[in-house]
Amino acid sequence: MKIIVCIKQVPDAKDVRLDPKTNTLAREGVQSIMNPYDQHAVEEAVRLKELLGGEVTVLSMGPPQAEEVLRQAISCGADHAVLVSDRAFAGADTWATSYTLAKAVNVIGAFDLLLCGKQAIDGDTAQVGPGLAMRLQIPYVTCVQKVRQATDSGLVLERMMDDGYDVLALDYPALLTMVKDINEPRVPSLKGKMRAKKLEIRKLTAADIGADPACIGLPGSPTQVVKVFPPEARCQRAVFTGSLDEQIGQLVDSLQPYL
Amino acid sequence: MLIIDKDVCIGCGNCESACPFGAITIVDGCAVVGDGCTLCGTCVETCDPGALKIEGAEKSAPLDLASWSGVWVYCEFRRGALAPVSLELLGIGRRLADTRNVPLSAVLIGSETGETARQLIAHGADTVYRIDDPALAHFTDEAYGAIMTALIQQNKPEIVLAGATAIGRSFIPGVATTLGAGLTADCTQLAIREEDGALLQTRPAFGGNIMATIVCPNSRPQMSTVRPKVMQALTFDGERQGNIVEVKPMPEQLATRVRVIESVVSEEDNVNIQESDILVAGGRGLDSAKGFTLMRELAESLGGAIAATRAVVDAGWIGYPHQVGQTGKTVAPKLYIACGISGAVQHVAGMQSAETIVAINRDKDAPIFDVADFGLVGDLFEIVPKLLTQIEERRKS
Ligand SMILES: Cc1cc2nc3c(=O)[nH]c(=O)nc-3n(C[C@H](O)[C@H](O)[C@H](O)COP(=O)(O)OP(=O)(O)OC[C@H]3O[C@@H](n4cnc5c(N)ncnc54)[C@H](O)[C@@H]3O)c2cc1C
Ligand SMILES: Cc1cc2nc3c(=O)[nH]c(=O)nc-3n(C[C@H](O)[C@H](O)[C@H](O)COP(=O)(O)OP(=O)(O)OC[C@H]3O[C@@H](n4cnc5c(N)ncnc54)[C@H](O)[C@@H]3O)c2cc1C
Ligand code: SF4
Ligand code: SF4
Repeated sequence: MKIIVCIKQVPDAKDVRLDPKTNTLAREGVQSIMNPYDQHAVEEAVRLKELLGGEVTVLSMGPPQAEEVLRQAISCGADHAVLVSDRAFAGADTWATSYTLAKAVNVIGAFDLLLCGKQAIDGDTAQVGPGLAMRLQIPYVTCVQKVRQATDSGLVLERMMDDGYDVLALDYPALLTMVKDINEPRVPSLKGKMRAKKLEIRKLTAADIGADPACIGLPGSPTQVVKVFPPEARCQRAVFTGSLDEQIGQLVDSLQPYL
Repeated sequence: MLIIDKDVCIGCGNCESACPFGAITIVDGCAVVGDGCTLCGTCVETCDPGALKIEGAEKSAPLDLASWSGVWVYCEFRRGALAPVSLELLGIGRRLADTRNVPLSAVLIGSETGETARQLIAHGADTVYRIDDPALAHFTDEAYGAIMTALIQQNKPEIVLAGATAIGRSFIPGVATTLGAGLTADCTQLAIREEDGALLQTRPAFGGNIMATIVCPNSRPQMSTVRPKVMQALTFDGERQGNIVEVKPMPEQLATRVRVIESVVSEEDNVNIQESDILVAGGRGLDSAKGFTLMRELAESLGGAIAATRAVVDAGWIGYPHQVGQTGKTVAPKLYIACGISGAVQHVAGMQSAETIVAINRDKDAPIFDVADFGLVGDLFEIVPKLLTQIEERRKS
């Protein structure tokens, strides 16, 4: 089994908050972490490897610091790491991101499974996985909550829906995106950490993957952000007075339209 | 790339304080951009001397934009029923189409759709493309995607909207990729820009911490998935006229590599909290799974459903379909009653668009009160039973 997992480095959401006065994201102490969903994707890949044999390659597009999340994935059981990094990728939307990742996957070579997180907690679009599958012309399943059966030729999966779940079967190659219910990611082993420290990360530039400059970064992005602003502040909270019973009475008054 | 003209920059720092991503800093009296830059362009406008420029933004117009015309809505049909978001999309779609002075079309894909197409016309559609085939009874990304892609290629609409549901957010990104079209995820506002008729798509990102407005200047169609419960449906008007176009799916469109073995409705979690007008939400303050009994009583009394924080879902007190927040569902009910919930950003991200928020928490400094319209400080085990009694009394009088 050859499995490739796409992982993204994101700012830790706990720390991210827009300051309504300055209109900027608070940046003090904002740590970079591996996108939480991608941790589940890495874990699932390592479990499938343990079950069926094979190897796991982790792939990230991002600035040089994204190496950190690749090393983290290695310490959790991945075998190889590839970083595609180039100034020319800056400003990529999901269309350009899926193009770039597809080009990189082609350089990595043949695979059976490609795993992604359901979504990245910064861009929040959940569009890169499906886009990548279309570019590689392989089938995909989003929001996988359980792998019921895994063999050398294919998988039986549960995919989360709004009203329950669907049970699906497919053959390799395919792309899956993972929700957090799928597993509990392991903590890195000591041996894994040692390996992660030493491992050579393969670095690819836009030229290495043969990317068309018109398809990457800002020029390759059909969507363009034209404005960023803080969410509308909610109206001031009404303050109730008196005893608790009186306050509850005032609340019930206010809720009259909903009763 | 963000280009900084060092000779022009006066080091005033306007750009530094304007950048939402903290990506630009002043070093030795001159602006320097770091890797966090998303090329959002916010800083460019704030630089009075004009030292900043984004390069690569202008593309040679690659296609004839004017040949794309009309607004399309994908109407989701599953298990014999139309997803309510479809009617909301027709509501906003009608507004956009009228502003652009173009027709509004609906795409209905499924099996045994019955009178649904007529219903779509009554809610605003001028044309309904109906693809009704037994092979489409179950949703698959491949079949639905192939059909949608082909229809768009043949008819060239300028705007395509779909619900930001599990189904919409799964197959629409595939369609957009094949078409080479820009797709904006999970929009909460849509409008037409006056100067050029472009679609202004506004959406929350970074877990709801910022809002971004996005345009697709050089690609067509302009595609968005739209969050349920945000847009207004038009009232049913049986007199409205429209035409229904039957489309036969090609055999190769129906051939899928992913096989649906079964489609399971979760019994216990049968309600989709995204569709509920009233949500009673419980957090760790409930103390144990038993605490949800009280939540259910309140929900029943109000005719609402149950929501929860991740903390209690992780603790196993209630199932994941009830989780609201960044890693759960995003909801926008009319009324959201948060009981024993601290109001962590990741939770608030999923519920802040509720019309009215009530918070019940014993800690007067809990951040949930910052987003609440009404707050009660105290023990929920005391407040909720009293609230129930008073609601009953109010109803009787
Ligand atoms: C405020 C803001 C709003 C935006 N809105 C949109 C929008 O509406 N539409 C749009 O097309 N773009 C949008 N973008 C751009 C988008 O965030 C980037 O394209 C980003 O590179 C990928 O999107 P995402 O973070 O949403 O990833 P998702 O699609 O949510 O990520 C899903 C999975 O794809 C994989 N993945 C994603 N990125 C990478 C990567 N760099 N390396 C390796 N694996 C990866 C991971 O497995 C991840 O779990 C927006 C950007 C900003 C700053
Ligand atoms: C990447 C990431 C993603 C996340 N995604 C989500 C998400 O999608 N959804 C989500 O909800 N969380 C999410 N979280 C977790 C989030 O950060 C909080 O930990 C969680 O929301 C807290 O849940 P809570 O409010 O139930 O618990 P707590 O924070 O423990 O709050 C309990 C509250 O109950 C009050 N209380 C206690 N007893 C009583 C009483 N008797 N009467 C009245 N009040 C009482 C307390 O004062 C306290 O404010 C995420 C975290 C991370 C890191
Ligand atoms: S706003 Fe312009 S002039 Fe001022 S510091 Fe930034 S780049 Fe320089
Ligand atoms: S383009 Fe946007 S992200 Fe980049 S430096 Fe300017 S304001 Fe910051």
